[in-house]
Formats: sequence, C-alpha cells, structure tokens
Amino acid sequence: MNTNSNTYTVIYSTILVVVVAAVLAFAAMFLKPTQDANVKKDTIGQILTAATVDGEDILGTYRQEIESAILVDIDGNKVGELDIESCEVYDNSALKKQIAAEQKALPVYIFKNGVTVVPCYGAGLWGPIWGYVGLEKDLKTIKAVRFGHKGETPGLGAKIADEPSFAEAFKGQQVGSGSIRFEVAKPANRQTEKNGVDAISGATITSQALGKTLDQWFGFYSNYLTKNGESVNTVEE
Amino acid sequence: MANFDFKETFLNPIFKGNPISVLVLGICSSLAVTVQLKGAFVMGLSVIIVTGLSSLVCSLLRNTIPNRIRIIVQLVVVAMMVILVDQVLKAYAYSVSKTLSVYIGLIITNCIVMGRIEAFALGNKPLASLVDGLGNGVGYAMILIIIAFFRELLGSGTLFGIQVIPQAVYDFGYMNNGLMILPPMALVLVGCIIWVQRSIQKDLQEK
Repeated sequence: MNTNSNTYTVIYSTILVVVVAAVLAFAAMFLKPTQDANVKKDTIGQILTAATVDGEDILGTYRQEIESAILVDIDGNKVGELDIESCEVYDNSALKKQIAAEQKALPVYIFKNGVTVVPCYGAGLWGPIWGYVGLEKDLKTIKAVRFGHKGETPGLGAKIADEPSFAEAFKGQQVGSGSIRFEVAKPANRQTEKNGVDAISGATITSQALGKTLDQWFGFYSNYLTKNGESVNTVEE
Repeated sequence: MANFDFKETFLNPIFKGNPISVLVLGICSSLAVTVQLKGAFVMGLSVIIVTGLSSLVCSLLRNTIPNRIRIIVQLVVVAMMVILVDQVLKAYAYSVSKTLSVYIGLIITNCIVMGRIEAFALGNKPLASLVDGLGNGVGYAMILIIIAFFRELLGSGTLFGIQVIPQAVYDFGYMNNGLMILPPMALVLVGCIIWVQRSIQKDLQEK
C-alpha cells in the first residue's frame, strides 16, 4: 500500500486522533472521582493549616476539630450549613461563583480551638490565586494563613504559597474595618497604618493581586465579622 | 536481527550513551525537579514509562506511519502517554503531582523521548524499541536521582524528606547550603557528573 498518498495520510491521521481521544476520554472519566477526592482533601488540608490544626488523617481531623461550617450572606446572616460528616467544603470553582453571585452564600469554618477560617479567591498574575485565613475569636486578628496558586512564577509570585516567612508575616495583623481592609505592599505605599503586610520583591503583581483579593473577600465577610466578632469581645471584657 | 543484543541496547544509554551526561538532552527538567529525591524519583519513573511505551507504540506503527506526518504522529503518541501519566499521578500521587506541576506535562517536549523514537523506534522491532526506550529512561532517571541526592542532602539535610544530618552537627555551626536548592547548582552538578564520567571513560573525551 502506498503510505504516502494524500487519502491514506488523511485517513490515518483521522483514525489516530479518534483513537487517542477515546483513550484519553476514558482515562479522564475513570480517574475523575479519585482526582476530585484528592482536590477536596487538599482543600481541607489548607483549611486545617489556616486553623492551626494538625493531623495525619486530614478528613478525620477535620471532622473531629470542626465546630460548625456555615454559609453566610453579605449581611452576615446565616443562610445555610455545610455537612460536616461528608466533609463538604467550597472548592475553588464554588468560591469563584460566589464573587459574582447576587445572593451570596459564603462559607465560614469555625473550629473548636476558637479559630474561624474564611476563604478568598481571585486572579493572580498568570492564573487564579486563593487562600484561607484563620482569624482569632475577635474575628479581626489573623492567626494563620495558607495561600495557594495555580501557576504564579516559581521563585517570585509562587512564594505566596511556599515562603514560610511570608505566611508568618500575616500573624497578628488586623483586618481593617474602613474602606481598605487589607493591603499587601511595601510600608511606604500602604494607605493604612496597620492592616497590611509587606509585598514580595520581584512579585509586585502577584502581591497586589493577593492584597486586592483579601480586601475584596474581607469586604464580603465584613458584616459577619463585625457582628460576631464584637459579641465575643463584650463577653471577654 | 535474530540475535539482537538486548543487554547492550538497555545498558548503553545508561552509561556510555547516557541521554543527560553524554547527549546532553533533557537538561531543563533535570534542573527543575531535582530539589528533592521524591520528586526526582517520580519524574524519573514517569519518563521511563513514557519513553518505553511511546517507543513501543511508534515501533508497532512504524510501517504504517505516513512519512510526511511522522513527527506529528510521534508527538500525538508521546502526548497521549504523558497525559495518561499526568492523570494517573493526579489520582494516585496528588502531592507529588503538585510539586512536579508543569514538568510532567513538559515530558512531551523532552528531547530524549522524540529523539529515541526518531532515531531508533522507527527503524527497529517493537521489543528492541521498548528496551531502548526503557534504557534511556533509566539513564535519565539515574542522573536525576544522583543530582537530587546531593541537592537534597546538602541543601535541606534530608533524604526522601527524612532528616539524615543529625541536629548535633547543626549545633556545631553547620548550615544547609541554600544555593543547592536553586537550579544553577543543579547545572554545576550535571557538569561534575559529566566530568567524572569522562575521566573514567576516556573514549568520550574530544581530542
């Protein structure tokens, strides 16, 4: 057979592509449940880090240590609950939907050790960035953070996720209540005195994006945080 | 080719014709994924599987592939293998797949894979091609693991994530070498490996 004829080439490439596509589609469908379970476990692991809870068995620790996982609207009222037994959490795509949603249902994870974890999600330089912020009982002071990203520049923007000293800098910072709730910039460029951490040098856009994302999400949560944070304060005082 | 020398085909790319230290192919990923042994190990394994299987498949198809689109056909086969490996890692070794991130996908562009298909698999029987592909993969993986061993040991004081340099040594003032974590040091190590290999195998030295 003449393997150099045009007809043969066209038919050959068509069959090849169809076969390869079928194999890949089958593999993707077959592996999807396991992959989704991994992503969920990873998300919960990040929430646990922000809550300063440690544990080998991630799902078990979550079930054991969580007090309640609720959904709140923009006014800070509780509108629903997440199932704890099945470890129901909002993944990145669910968070993304909330940004534009008119009727928001934002997740709040309250842990038995008193830490409340709220998520954030936004656009970085190359792709999405996200994070989980653990707040103290006053719902103002940051206890711990865990950030993640899809594809920020390794060694620069990627440091938001893998530079321990960057996450360390958030500890003890306050979430503001004015028009600017949080900033990530060098001290000279910050408009508020508190409520911010230093940016990462060489990663200006990622840092700014992270600051903006945090500011936006603290804005979403501001009513919830003020309402519930103050009540705790009065009890303590 | 009745008495094909499988042993020679397999061992040649591991030592005498090593893809990294002799052919200097696949350098990019060997710099990027060798910070820790675990990552290097999984990366090496993935490349072994991809080179072996795509050489096998291309060799099986070699008499049917239209000559004009042979590179495209090779690419499709390699890409399929890489995506499969990537998907399997995401399902069963999620944390490792997160550390390796884009580099698994970049196996597609690893010159070793295409190089062996074009140079060997298209002209040889399937079994020989499989052995050649596996041999090249092992040669690549071996260098990766050697580099990662030194980088992790000197850069982090650990091996496979387990602390091996005792705390007492740190108390005497020993410090991890931060430079080892960065890619340039991997290139220096590749250079050292090439130097050592050429000192042993004198026939590799250019006149």
